[in-house]
Amino acid sequence: MATAEVSNKKTLKVQRFKPSDNPSNTYLTDEKGVWAWMTTVDHKKIGIMYLVAVAIFFAVGGALALLLRTELMTPAKTFIEADTYNQLFTLHGAIMVFFVLVPSIPAALGNFIMPMQLGAKDVAFPKLNLASFYIYVAGAIFTFIALAQHGLDTGWTFYTPYSTESSSSVIWVTMGVFILGFSSILTGTNFITTIHKMRAPGITWGKLPLNVWALYATSIIQVLATPVLAITVLLLTMERWLGFGIFDPALGGDPVLFQHFFWFYSHPAVYIMIVPGFGIISEVISTFSKKTVFGYWAIALSSLAIAFIGFLVWGHHMFTSGQSAVATTVFSFLTFLVGIPTGIKIFNWIATLYKGSIKMDTPMIYVFIFLFLFSIGGFTGIMLGALSVDIHLHDTYYVVAHFHYVMMGGTLIALLAGLHFWWPKMTGKLYNEKLAKIASVFIFVGFNVTFLPQFVMGAQGMPRRYYNYVDQFTAFHQTSTIGSYLLGVGFLIILYYLMHSLFKGAKSPANPWGSRGLEWQATSPPDFHNFDHTPVVIHGPYDYHQPMEEFQLGLAVDTNGHDSETAKEVVDKEREQWKNYSLG
Amino acid sequence: MILSEDKTMSEHNHHEHHVSSVGQLWAIGIALTLLTILTVGLSHVEIPAPFDVVVALTVAFVKAFLVCAFFMNLYWDTKFNSMLLIGAFAFFILMVAVTLLDTLYRNDVVPSF
Amino acid sequence: MSNHSQAHPAHLQHHFVDSDQQFDAAKMGMWVFIVNEILFFGGLFCAYIVFRAWYPDLFTMAATKLDTTMGAINTVVLIGSSLSVAMAIRAAQLNKTKWIKINLLITITLACVFLVIKYFEYSHKMHDGIFPGATLYTYEGIDHPLAHVFFSIYYVMTGIHAIHIIVGIGLMIWIYIRAKRNEFGSEYYTPVEMVGLYWHLVDVIWIFLFPLLYLIE
Repeated sequence: MATAEVSNKKTLKVQRFKPSDNPSNTYLTDEKGVWAWMTTVDHKKIGIMYLVAVAIFFAVGGALALLLRTELMTPAKTFIEADTYNQLFTLHGAIMVFFVLVPSIPAALGNFIMPMQLGAKDVAFPKLNLASFYIYVAGAIFTFIALAQHGLDTGWTFYTPYSTESSSSVIWVTMGVFILGFSSILTGTNFITTIHKMRAPGITWGKLPLNVWALYATSIIQVLATPVLAITVLLLTMERWLGFGIFDPALGGDPVLFQHFFWFYSHPAVYIMIVPGFGIISEVISTFSKKTVFGYWAIALSSLAIAFIGFLVWGHHMFTSGQSAVATTVFSFLTFLVGIPTGIKIFNWIATLYKGSIKMDTPMIYVFIFLFLFSIGGFTGIMLGALSVDIHLHDTYYVVAHFHYVMMGGTLIALLAGLHFWWPKMTGKLYNEKLAKIASVFIFVGFNVTFLPQFVMGAQGMPRRYYNYVDQFTAFHQTSTIGSYLLGVGFLIILYYLMHSLFKGAKSPANPWGSRGLEWQATSPPDFHNFDHTPVVIHGPYDYHQPMEEFQLGLAVDTNGHDSETAKEVVDKEREQWKNYSLG
Repeated sequence: MILSEDKTMSEHNHHEHHVSSVGQLWAIGIALTLLTILTVGLSHVEIPAPFDVVVALTVAFVKAFLVCAFFMNLYWDTKFNSMLLIGAFAFFILMVAVTLLDTLYRNDVVPSF
Repeated sequence: MSNHSQAHPAHLQHHFVDSDQQFDAAKMGMWVFIVNEILFFGGLFCAYIVFRAWYPDLFTMAATKLDTTMGAINTVVLIGSSLSVAMAIRAAQLNKTKWIKINLLITITLACVFLVIKYFEYSHKMHDGIFPGATLYTYEGIDHPLAHVFFSIYYVMTGIHAIHIIVGIGLMIWIYIRAKRNEFGSEYYTPVEMVGLYWHLVDVIWIFLFPLLYLIE
């Protein structure tokens, strides 16, 4: 034991590895062909596959949304039947929540970026990673079988007793969600283990990129909450199939208990969706301010705080369900607490901007859009958490608008920020900056035109999920519909220039943004093993006051460098040397 | 010489993996069996309402502790794994407790239809 | 730690630095998976607790239909299988491949015994018309309007547990085949240990199911 340590100390030396701007070998040139992609265990390729799948589902869900908005142009029937309308909004919700928002950032971008930010070759369980992608696909297939049969008209929440009586294909969808849940669980399990066990030498918990902290918090929620969803939809399936009598009031069950079970998952699930978005914002805001992130620990730990408090507030979805007054009051109070860690994050991001040298590239524009939209979403969330206000606003368009402000204005905008930020890393190509800025204007304007009127009409009493409405809401609905078209145009522009970039875009250098993040110290696109050396980290990921070459270190002689104790000694020693170097 | 080197190697690599002795494992197995007999026996004793469940669950927890600590090796393992187990249980309690906050305090247990 | 001077061992996957890292990662991943399982069954226990708190009489009445003797025998059977799987891990740690196989066979046998007893319990109840769910439930021996709810909970809890047993048998057959190929020894026995952890978890869940379902007086 003792001798082993001594020999390690002797052999561990670091040297600089400057990433090449013209890599000859990348993960895209290794293992070519469809079969190689489908059977790959490379986290980068799996991330890309998730990204493609999520994009397809987003296109489907988005098209459904446009159909819904078009139908709502006039107070009575515009062009689709009421039953079809019910199915469309259910599918829009189910697809967007389960197939887009939940896997979007963790499984797509997280899979690609997180191991690189840790300086690891891969996630801890690469085969499991591939399996979770196929489980996701299997869940999708079940949902599409439901579509081909009788569709689904229960809303994405599957509330009993309607879901036990509806003539649509509830069981296929619930089984789809059950399967999908395992994809999410396995990703979470994989990420937690990876973050604990696969960090490169020198990456202590205090040097973990905030994106990784956010994914860590997300994974904890995934692991703790998703199994409850699985058991809930399983019980629902049994209820529908055999008449279990647990949720169906006609058989002696309790529909409110279903809502408890459902929201025990689905409320934390909104944090599964938004917290990884927070991670992206932290990365981008620091990179484009060229400044250390303000309040590193506050941002890192507030993610965990959100993850924890997120488990205590589910009942605020059930204020009007008949749950006891005691529970209602407690839930309302606890709901306000979530605002605290979220507010801490927003303040720290703003403080990061202060005196930074801000560069308004596309990812940064999306960060500002995020800060604006998400703050509105957050504040209206506090409104809805207030018990007396919620009784009035429950099940109105106000809730719809709030949800879209946090989920689309938050998660999706953060996803766009991350996509634009890491696109050069993932593809090795640059995109058209001018078109990207034009698209972001469409997105921002379109989004607000769509959803701001919904706050107003919701507060005036327009219920959600309604096929018809009274004439007084016509102007709001029509404005909202026009806004949704603008949004659609924005996304089409994004699709166009990203595809153009993919096939004809200019080549990206290794680090186009001058980021200090470890993932940017690999080539663009990265090598098959991410780095062809074992990276060694001596600075925090946001130490923009340190010279770039100190972020490009790796083990000169590749030994078992992951032995944390020895590595730490070496890193400390190196840090001393570098200090002298930069002073001189 | 090579043999002895190999031996030190393997000793080093697994210096933290605990190997339970046969006697130890059997002792745990027998203790679990005895506790099972105990809990069945106690179920025939008249214990007033809430305490019968408390007693049965206490025995169950002792059994679960024995399995987790000595069969699953948590006793010798890194503390983090024990933390995971306790954390999972804590969240389960949280789920039950907060749900009971509703179900125990309703005016009308299950709305009649 | 002079691993770099020798070739990587066959079991070491490329993205790990050494066997220790691989073992620790696998073990931690397994524990995180156990967290999942606890919350998964937690949902069922939660439903159980809510309904028992609402209808204590129902549970006292209905539990008399459960066969305590069979439940107790099954408890002991599972404890025995936990013991034998722990022995299998010990055998792997000590390079005794023959004993890995023997202990795995004992475990598989005990798991099958458990399922057979479970089968008798289920078929006996179904013979009386006690089925899961109100649709099929016809038994009239329990004077409570919600008798079917208790048995729904009973069937779903023990049923999902039984599915775990079946999965466990499959896993142990897989481990047995690999042990037969001499893949395990003191240097590498991660899969044996992981399946062992899974099996103990199945045991622990039964340890709670048994008193909560069978021993209600």
